Amino acid sequence: MAIQVPGKRFGKRLQRSRVFGKGKIGGKRLMVADLLITPMVDMFVIIVLFLIANFSATGEVLMMTKEIRLPEAVNVKEIEMVPVVMVSNEQVLVSGTVIGRVEDLSREDYLNIPALEEKLREMKKQYEDLHALAKDESGKFKGDVNIQADKDVHYKIMKRVMYSCLTAGYNNINFATQTAASSKGEQQASTRGL
Amino acid sequence: MAGGMGGADLGPASSGKKKPLDTTINLVPFIDLMAVTISFLIMTAVWTQIGRLQVSGAGGPSDNADEMEKTVPLTLLITDKELKLTAGTSSFDPIPILRDVKGRIDLSKLQMRIKEVRGNLPDQAAITLQPEDNVRYEDLIRIIDECIGDGLPNVSVAAAIG
Repeated sequence: MAIQVPGKRFGKRLQRSRVFGKGKIGGKRLMVADLLITPMVDMFVIIVLFLIANFSATGEVLMMTKEIRLPEAVNVKEIEMVPVVMVSNEQVLVSGTVIGRVEDLSREDYLNIPALEEKLREMKKQYEDLHALAKDESGKFKGDVNIQADKDVHYKIMKRVMYSCLTAGYNNINFATQTAASSKGEQQASTRGL
Repeated sequence: MAGGMGGADLGPASSGKKKPLDTTINLVPFIDLMAVTISFLIMTAVWTQIGRLQVSGAGGPSDNADEMEKTVPLTLLITDKELKLTAGTSSFDPIPILRDVKGRIDLSKLQMRIKEVRGNLPDQAAITLQPEDNVRYEDLIRIIDECIGDGLPNVSVAAAIG
């Protein structure tokens, strides 16, 4: 067996490899490649512009869960940071606290949900106390509440949730919805040739 | 946009002088900034646009007497089979609920009916919805959305009728 120089030795099959071997045997192929920066920078700029256009400074007002599929609406206003009542097909929650199971609530014939009413009253009192301590006149309690409900929930439950909100002093009820594209707007855009 | 490999040719040097006018823009910090910005924007991106439909619980009569004269109590009874619109003492024919392939209610007839009412009462801005217990929340939202879109922004939902 012939004596060889110490170091890496690859098999015959890899001798033609550009990585492990010497590439073209006997040739003088240049192994330096330029990286094209221009398309990469162009792509970065487009991505940044797209993401800035979609940027929302409102923040995450609602906690989106797979149990709650919001219905779609077109004529919506921007959502605000107010207490959220979550109604899924299984349970009713306020600020992460479980108020009751929908199955149990469906069986009852009461008009309100006492636990929900109590929790909302407590939150209202906390809000008023905090703003009274801070002597904040502008932060007067407006009675806004967001209801984040699944689209398959029946009005029987919604009615009880709404009634509890109203009796607890939350008179401005807002239904959270997914913003859908306006068909009228699309039609107008198409007529303008946009 | 970006110069090829960061080189920017500023034209030939003036005659007699050998001072090179070629400059090189260093793209590395630019790319770093882009990478950081993209990461930040992707992390803070809002992929679902959420809005709100404001309603009020069905309450008492309006305080403004003049407004009362120009408008009528407009009520829409919603059942799982039909929509019944009532304007003051006159009631319209019930609108049967038809659904498309996706299960969404067809509201074109309701839209026409509301436009008819708005034609007679241009100052009318309020409507009270009275859904039955078995009405789905999605259908209620679609009807509220339709009412707001048709020029009735003051939507009340009867919370105590069952």
